[in-house]
Amino acid sequence: MIEAALGKKKPLADREIWILAGLLLFLPFVLPYQSLPSEILIYALGAVSFNILMGFTGLLSFGQGALFGAGAYMTGLIMVNLGWHPLLALLCACLIGAVTAFLVGYFSIRQVGIYFVMLTLAFNQLAFFIVYQWKGLTGGDDGLLEVPRPDLTLFPGVEIPIQTNFQFFLFVWVVFILAFIVIRRIINSPFGRILVAVKENPERATAVGYNIKHYKLAAFVISGFFTGLAGGLYALFMKMVPITAVELFTSTDFIIMSLLGGLGSLYGPILGAIIVKIASEILSEIWARWLFVLGLTFIVFVLFMRGGVWGLLTAIRDKRRAARLVEEKRQ
Amino acid sequence: MILKTEGLTKHFGGLTAVNEVDLRVEEGVIHSIIGPNGAGKTTLFNLLTGELPVSAGEIYFREKRITGLKPNQIVRARIGRSFQQNKIFKNLTVLENVRLAVHAHHRGHFDLLHHFLSFTAPVEQAWGILEELGITGIAAKNAGELPHGQQRTLEVALALAADPLLLLLDEPTSGMSPDDSVKMIRLLKKLGQRLTMVVIEHNMNLVMSISSVITVLQQGTIIASGSPSEIEQDKAVREAYLGGQA
Repeated sequence: MIEAALGKKKPLADREIWILAGLLLFLPFVLPYQSLPSEILIYALGAVSFNILMGFTGLLSFGQGALFGAGAYMTGLIMVNLGWHPLLALLCACLIGAVTAFLVGYFSIRQVGIYFVMLTLAFNQLAFFIVYQWKGLTGGDDGLLEVPRPDLTLFPGVEIPIQTNFQFFLFVWVVFILAFIVIRRIINSPFGRILVAVKENPERATAVGYNIKHYKLAAFVISGFFTGLAGGLYALFMKMVPITAVELFTSTDFIIMSLLGGLGSLYGPILGAIIVKIASEILSEIWARWLFVLGLTFIVFVLFMRGGVWGLLTAIRDKRRAARLVEEKRQ
Repeated sequence: MILKTEGLTKHFGGLTAVNEVDLRVEEGVIHSIIGPNGAGKTTLFNLLTGELPVSAGEIYFREKRITGLKPNQIVRARIGRSFQQNKIFKNLTVLENVRLAVHAHHRGHFDLLHHFLSFTAPVEQAWGILEELGITGIAAKNAGELPHGQQRTLEVALALAADPLLLLLDEPTSGMSPDDSVKMIRLLKKLGQRLTMVVIEHNMNLVMSISSVITVLQQGTIIASGSPSEIEQDKAVREAYLGGQA
């Protein structure tokens, strides 16, 4: 009974993780564009990080672009100006993402509902204009150009090449899976369960003894950490940082991917990122107004399929299971 | 004396919802608060649990001043509270509802790297509460799908998660069928054997059968306080509250 009510204790990496890792590894072999798989995983990481806020804490943040941009520019600037080890540059991207998220979160969570949403949106715009104006550092409108992507030196003499599309994909894949394992554990930790309580019923969460502001802020910082990581990977991926990285559109990309894929689970946003990125690459070649299709699909999902594609898939699976049980009982 | 208020007052703009209330709750009793709608009963609870800031006056719990503390701090002082309207985690199972409430009183809130089931003490304690209330059978059901009566019981379970010394129950039988009410009354009597309780109620059967002390509020002011029989015979109460029926 207790297991039925609370579920099973999951180890850090189990079959779910291996299946996910295996499926994602197929991406370069089935997609027509060789840079697309890396891009998908980078956006998937951003969407999963956004989902920590939206899906698990109930916070609709339009400020994710600022966090993504912070990570991207941090990594880009370090690589351009200091030439540090790429992994160190990525760690700095995580940290700046977390710090930026702390600032956005600290002020935004003082409000709830639409005011909260508008504050996060305003912070994203603020970040955009700082980058836009600070031309000397960021390159402004032109973006930060010529970000080097050297090979990874693990030990002196042991270098892992990340130059070709496939090599870089493997690198992103490893980072993504590791980050995902950590995020999944956080979601299943006591802390992660409290986030769900905050989302489900903030008043009751307070009444049973939790200071919900602390949890909302911590959720922001964690989301910022991993969104910053995604941003850092993006800078290495593009070998530059386009100013679009910090735009509001980046925030809405993550939101659309998560909603389309499904907010209820950790896997939904990954699916959403795959669908949106593939659709945008393929549809944009066929029809320049492809965003129209995306918008329409989005509306359909918000109106009729709140669980997203992932929710749809699990619903179908549950229905089949139920049908099978009925069938077995009859016999 | 487990709970004491002195001159507790709450103004909402020009309206005084709670007016210089001196409440005294003795340890080990079931203490009911009754009064007509709008008498300020729930507001009084909201002041006691920190849901609302007080306008004036003081609150003491076991001789310690708790005025101005936040709800999450007050519940940690071991004052449990149920709400008039169900406030439950609807999409979570009954056991998870209670486990989350219990975990607030254990360590590891900001533990990110262990699975929550590695913390077994909150699970066991939550299960114990379900056993005490006789609702282990619905442990795996989603709280939002329960019938109203069981949701009211879950409200009590969430209040018990604080391992409270004082339990504040806001209309535990509200909206319940007569059958469910009887069950709830039995449950409250049982809990009353080990806990001090303050109960807001409209259901006079319940009030008269379980309370050892009754306080009557009217327009934010205490107009009488005493044993059930004293209250029944109190002239001011009969005029103000029981009205024509008396």
